[in-house]
Order: sequence, then C-alpha cells, then structure tokens
Amino acid sequence: MKKLLSLLMAAMLLLSLAACGGQETDAGSIVIWHDKEDAVAEVLQNYLSEALPEYTITLEKKTSLTDSLKLVGNDPAGAPDMFIFAHDKIGLFAEMGILAPIEELLSEGELENYLPMTTEAATYKGTVYQLPLYFETLLFMYNSKYMTPEMVPETTEELYAYMEANTGRDRFGFVEQHSTAYYSAAWIHGFGGEIISADGTPFPDAQAVKDALEYHLKFVQLMPGETEYSTVNTLFLEGKADSTIGGPWMVPSAREAGIELGIAPMPVVDATGEPLAPYSGVQGVHVLTHAAESKGEAVRAVLEALTAPEVGVELALASGCAPARAECYDDEAVANDELVQSMRTTAEIAIPMPNLPEMDVMWTVMSNLLTDVNLSGRGVDESFDEAMAEAENLIANMK
Amino acid sequence: MRKKAREKLGLGALNIFFIALCFVTLIPILYALSVSFSGTNSLLSSDFSFIPEDFTLENYIAVFTGEDIMTWFGNSILLAAATVCISLAVSVPAAYCFSRRRFPGRRLVLRWLVLLNSFPAILSMFAVYRLLQPLGLVNHRLGLIIVYTGTMAVFSLWNMKGYFDTIPVDIEEAARMDGATDLQVVTRIVMPLAKPSVVVTALMVLIYVWNEYIYATTFMTGERNYTLAAGLYALQATEMSGSWPVFAAASIIVSLPVLIIFFLCQKHMTSGLTAGGVKG
Amino acid sequence: MKKRTKSVLVSYLVSGPSLLLIALIVVFPIAYTFFISLTNMSVYHWFDFTVIGLDNYWRALFVFDSGFLSALLATVLWTAVNMLIQLAAAFLLASALNIKKLRLRKLYKTLLMFPWAMPGYVSILLWKTGVFNSEFGLLNQWMEALGREAVRWLSTDVSAFICCTVVNLWLALPFMIMIMDGALQSIDSSYFESAILDGAGWLKRTRYITIPSIKPIIAPAVIITVFTTFKQFDVVYLLTQQMGARTGSNFHTILTYAYENAFVTNNYGYSSAISIIIFALMLVFSIRFRLGGEGET
Repeated sequence: MKKLLSLLMAAMLLLSLAACGGQETDAGSIVIWHDKEDAVAEVLQNYLSEALPEYTITLEKKTSLTDSLKLVGNDPAGAPDMFIFAHDKIGLFAEMGILAPIEELLSEGELENYLPMTTEAATYKGTVYQLPLYFETLLFMYNSKYMTPEMVPETTEELYAYMEANTGRDRFGFVEQHSTAYYSAAWIHGFGGEIISADGTPFPDAQAVKDALEYHLKFVQLMPGETEYSTVNTLFLEGKADSTIGGPWMVPSAREAGIELGIAPMPVVDATGEPLAPYSGVQGVHVLTHAAESKGEAVRAVLEALTAPEVGVELALASGCAPARAECYDDEAVANDELVQSMRTTAEIAIPMPNLPEMDVMWTVMSNLLTDVNLSGRGVDESFDEAMAEAENLIANMK
Repeated sequence: MRKKAREKLGLGALNIFFIALCFVTLIPILYALSVSFSGTNSLLSSDFSFIPEDFTLENYIAVFTGEDIMTWFGNSILLAAATVCISLAVSVPAAYCFSRRRFPGRRLVLRWLVLLNSFPAILSMFAVYRLLQPLGLVNHRLGLIIVYTGTMAVFSLWNMKGYFDTIPVDIEEAARMDGATDLQVVTRIVMPLAKPSVVVTALMVLIYVWNEYIYATTFMTGERNYTLAAGLYALQATEMSGSWPVFAAASIIVSLPVLIIFFLCQKHMTSGLTAGGVKG
Repeated sequence: MKKRTKSVLVSYLVSGPSLLLIALIVVFPIAYTFFISLTNMSVYHWFDFTVIGLDNYWRALFVFDSGFLSALLATVLWTAVNMLIQLAAAFLLASALNIKKLRLRKLYKTLLMFPWAMPGYVSILLWKTGVFNSEFGLLNQWMEALGREAVRWLSTDVSAFICCTVVNLWLALPFMIMIMDGALQSIDSSYFESAILDGAGWLKRTRYITIPSIKPIIAPAVIITVFTTFKQFDVVYLLTQQMGARTGSNFHTILTYAYENAFVTNNYGYSSAISIIIFALMLVFSIRFRLGGEGET
C-alpha cells in the first residue's frame, strides 16, 4: 500500500514538474548571461527594459559562465542569445564557431565611436566579436591613513623600502595576489616580457620573464602566504595592509569599510624605467550565432540600445566602470570621477589581455610557474623551463 | 558495588570523550556560526573568538529577506522530495529482486554496476548534457531529477540489496505458508525489517541532492531556478560582492533541515531485524 | 521452461526502471566519452569533428610521465590512508555510540553528522580560510597564542596531504559512522550473550562475531567509498590547487593532475581518452583487489 502511494506521489510530482518547467524560444525574447556585480547588471537590465519595451530582455547571472558556454555551445535550447564577459575568451569561442561577428549587426561605422583600445581588444583574426561596454584595469590603491599621498612610492624600489619599513606582525606595507597570473602580469610587462605573443608563442622573451620573477620574489617574501582574493582583500579592508594592487571592484567595499582610499599611478620598475603595466579587460556583449540568425532584429535592437552613451555614463556612475565609448567622457560627472579617470590613465600603459585561444591554457601555466617560484621556493630557471615545456605541451594538445 | 562505581566512571569518561569529539568536529561550524552572528564583515579576522563581538541577527534576516533564498529553498525541497521518492520507488523493487531472485545476468550486472559507477561524475557532465539536450531536459527540473536518481541508483540498489541479503528467507517463507501474496510479503514483512537500510538510503539520496551544486549550476539557468546549494555556490563564486556573514548564515541555514531530518529519522534507523524477527 | 522465462522476465521488469536510469546516467556517459575519445573534437573542431581512431590514446601516453606516476602513487596512498583511518575510526566510534547506557547518544550522533549536512564546497572553504589560512586561520592564531611561528599549512606536500586527509575524513566519517552504526545494530544480541557466557573478551567478540556479521552489510558502502576516495577531486583541488588560490603544494591526485594537464586544453577527444585510461586504471585496481566481487553470494 505504502509503495503504491509513493509511486503515485512520484508520478504526480513528475507531472507537475513537467507542466511547470519547459521553455520555448520566441523571436521577441533575448536572454543575456553575465557574471557581473549586481550594480552593473541592474543598470543594464533597467536600461534595456526601458529602452526596448517591445522585447523581453532578461539578464541572467551565470556562475562559471565560460564553462557553461563550452557545454551548451550554440544550442538554441540551452545557450543564451548573448552574453557579457571580458574579451579574453573571444578567440576561444570564435574558434568554436559560436560567436557572430558584431560589426554586421551594428550600423556602419558605429565602432569608430569607441576607444581604439577597446575595439582592438575585441578583434580576433581581423573580425570584431564584441560590442565593448566598459573596461577595467588594476590600480595601485593605498590607505591614506597609513600611507599619506607624499609617501606613495613612485618606483618599485621605493615600494620595497616602504614594505620593509612597514611590514611586521599583523601588518603589511603592500599586498597583492602575488601568485595569480592576472596580477603578476603587471610585473612581467614592467620588465618588457609577455605571457604570450600576438602570434601565440608562449613567453616570447624568456629572460624578461625570469628577471621579473626573480625581482618580484623579494616583494612576495614580505607578503602573506596566501594569494587568493579574500585574504588580500580582507587585509586591505581591515586596515592591516597599507597598499595594494586591486581591481575597481574593490572600491565600493573599501569605501563601505571606511578606508580613506587613495589611487595612485603604478610604480615604475627601477631596472627598466617602465611602469608596472597590468592587463586591461574589456567587458562587452557577445552575440551567439544562433541568435544572430534567428532573432536578428531583436539582437540588433539590443545592440543599438547599448551603443547609447547614457549606458556608459550610468555604468560609470553606478559602479565606477570606465566606459568604452569615447563620448561618455564628455559627461562632467564621468570626467570628474576619480576612479574612472585613474583607470583611463592606467589604460594608457595597460596591455589588453591576449584574446587568443592559447591564452586559455596560459592562465594555468602561469599560475603553476608563479606557485613554484613564489610559494614552493623552487629556482626560477628550473621552474621556467618546466613551465615552458608545459605551455608548449598544452598548446599542442589543444588541437 | 565497586563494579557499579567503575561503570559510572567509565560512562562519565565516555561522555566527556564524546563532548570533546563533538566540539572538535564542530570547530569549523562554530566558526561559521560565530561569523554569521557577527556585525563586522569578515570571515577572516586576525583576532577570532567563538563568541561574536557585536552580536546581531541581521545576517539571518538578510538571508530570509534579501536574495531569492526562499525560492531556492523551495526548489531544493521539491527536487529532494521528488528524487527521494523516485529513487526509492525504483530501487527498492530492484534491490529486492536482485537479493531474492536468481536470473541470468544477475551476477554480471551486480559485478559491473559498482565498477562502472567508479567513473568520475565530473567527467560525465559533457555526455549527460548531450543526453538531456535533445530530450529538452536541460534547464528543466525533471532533467536534474533524472541525473540525481541515476547517480544514486547504484548506491541505492547495492546498499539495500546488501541489507535484504541479511534478512532470513525463512521469515518470508513462513508468511507465504500463511497465504500471504508476494506484494504482502514485501510490504508487510520485508520493508519493516529493512527499514534502517531504506531510511539510510533515502537519507543518503536526500543529502546528495541537497548538497549537489555542479549539475545544478551548470544545467539550470537563472537564479530563480537554483537550489540552495547552487545559489550559495553562486553567492560565493562572485567574490566581488561576497558578504561573508550572510554567506555563513546561509550555510548554517542550509544544513539545519538535513540535521533536523536526521534527528527525527534516528529512531527508524535502529534495526527492526532482531526485534521484528522474533515477534513476526 | 515457460515458467522460467516468465520469472526471468518479471525479474527484469521489476528492476527495469532502476537499470534503465543507471544505463542512462552511468553507462551512457562512459560509452559516449569513449566515442568522443576516438574523435578530434576540440575548440577547433567543435561542430565538424570526425572519427580519427586511436590517435588520442597515442598522444595521451605522453601525459603518463613521471608527474602522472607520482600522482597515481599519491592517489593510491591517499586512498589507503583515508580508508584505513576511516574504517577504524568509524568502527570504534560506532561501537562506543552503541554502549547501552549512553543516554545522549542521539544528540552526539546528530552533532557528529553536521559535517555531512553542509555542501562540500562550503565546508572546504571554511576549513581553508577559517582553519588553515596562514594569516587568519585558527591554527595559526593558536600557534601564535602558544608563542610559536605561524606555519603555511598547505604549502608543502606532506603537510598538504595531511590537511587534505583531515578534511576528507571530516567530510566522510559521518556517513561511515552511520553505516557502521546501522550494521552494528543489526547483529542479533543473543550471539553476544552466549559469547560472553563463554568468556570471550571484547577483542575476540569483535573478531569472531562483530566483524563477520557487519561485513556483508557495510561492504557496498565501503566499496563505494573506496571509489569516491580514489576519485576525490573537490577536497584536493579546492584546498590547494584552485586556480588563483593555489597554495604551493605539489600533492596531486590523478584527477587533479589530469585536470591541469589535459582537461584545461578543451580538447575533448584528447581529454576523453585520458578519462577512459584513468577509468581503465581504476578497473584494474578494483579487479586486482576484488572490489567488484565482494558482497556477492
């Protein structure tokens, strides 16, 4: 009897589930995946709903967005119509054949209104695959309660001297995610090195990378053993670290935590005379091929709405994003925003993340190399040779 | 007299041992508990104490009012209930069948099932997606239920079959002599005797579904479709917005239903085998 | 003859739904992975992949270098250590919980189940940041209170192995205790009474009564746990190897090793070949240790 009952229950549940699930695709609805902060998503959602009341546009937050995209590919039932992500995966998805060229979906010459850096970043093998919205770079931030503006180091040696003088029990002169590829790239660039060249060669200038790693090591020794975001972030927010290199996303929480936040230009490497040059990431909208084909009209409308300068201005004011569209900077509020301005200045020295598919594995290689040198205490030369072999091996195995 | 005193001493020591053990086990959880009641936003703090400094319930209020946590909660309950029901409905007959009946292929199936089950689940993700996609079950609760039931099916089958094996056949035969039908034998005699194993299996399935997040985040899109575990994972994965105390409060809230169910189930988990066997 | 056919049919009909689900979710992915391993599916051939035969297996052999071998050894060691401690600890604790006069047993059991009630990644995160973190972790706060140097717990191979084992045991013990507990309770107490009358001590009773009686009941759970431990990914990856949060240890299980050396390439044919080889290795191990045959009468 009980079994019968449970069987019945199960059947009923199944039926009700089948009834309430399901989805159909219609030409008027656009689903956009993103993994951005709520503030950014809200601005975009509100703006799009208002500007295009005739379409149903939904921004859906998706964790591990790129992994999910690799799974759903271009399948209309599972994939979104568009997604918002940084430009560094463009090569990967373009090679997969799921990205629609964006230029054909925009009115002619539209992309000329964007900062050249952003459209260049969005170009892979001569085709633009992303409508840029805003860009971000890492910034040198300090807590002016401890590090007054006149104490801000201009060179890396000054920084090191400051660290030596101010690092001790429960206190750090400077912290960063030292063994993470995205952060350490700034040091490698400061020595003239690259993680991957434009033609896909890993570590084109071996010596520069080695020099950077060797030099960086003494800084790492004055930083905590953890390299992940939460440790670094907490140290800075708790006022236990005087300065850090971090992204604009740290700013709202720093202001909330009552940190007297200052932003300064990146220190210059004494040995080369070049500043630490972080990667820049261009966040923008990508269109999947299936949507471009079957929902062309809606897709065009969304893209056109997103080209309006107001979008950039609103994003800048809401969460300090640096707009990709040049005319947004004519807006007075944007022009006066310290955060946006510093990002724009840093962007002049910053290097856009490579968007080659090969970069996808270089993140892993770089992170292994950094861990070996910084945390496991292994020799730079030995670790580098290993990383080089790993890089070549992984890149060869991609095909 | 002396024996009694010694026994008491031993029992006292045992109790102290268990209290200490529970404390040690719970350290990470007490940590989360303390963070969840604290007003300052840090999971990481260099001067941690198990009693939060500025005690507040705000984080719990934030959990219940803020995010879509109540929706996630509902999704979790629905998925867990459906999966447990279906799992038992398909596994109990199969396990009983494999325990009692002899048929060609039985040994082969039993032997290979557990071996095949050793294929790491993270590696099957891609194939499972390809399977569900043409059926239109991606981004559909039914799809998740099928995945969960299938994943736990080998365990359910094996675990209950193992227990059925220990139930003497004589008891069933005696009932059959008294004129009971097959169905009656199963529902009236075998099930009550196998209750601990059935409850353990159900609990195992429940906890798996409750805590699973990889399939739930990958196959479901849109925050309103998340389960609790998936939603929490999403909260935690977007490091930029993370509020640790709210996260800690949410993780405590996730665990509580399972603990309550476990506490309530305990009396059903003691074996009916010996007691029931004698009476029956 | 006809009756026999009917009986076989009924057997398969009754177990059919369960077997069908297993076929879909367990067997199909293995077959599909094997199929993909014979193709050149990758980022560059996402839609237009073709069958290329055993090339991927040939290439995969290059992954089985010294790094892979040491990961394999580490995985075997990891499985052995974890299972031994887990079985011994669970048996002792479950026995203690079954001492008749222990009144608060239900409370203890529920509290000891807590680790199981939390999603794995939450617990691992709590351990990583709450306990092992070198700046803020409880361990180092206690070390400091004792006047000792702070330690980077997760940065060397041996200590990372120990930390992972602790966390894995913490996560896995509740289940094992529950299974043991259920099994112990199923033993007919009359056996014990007569054994006590015969003057058998605790060790003797354990060896000759308890273990033989619980063996068939716990066997399925134990075998499944052996596999779960062998293919453990989350604990090791999230604690020490996560991208952007690595800790400096080189302790890899075969899965984390394969992840880093193959799966990141997004070459599905190649990664599938490696998955299949790992799976074959697991099969060899389980046949070697006769895991599949146990519990079968």
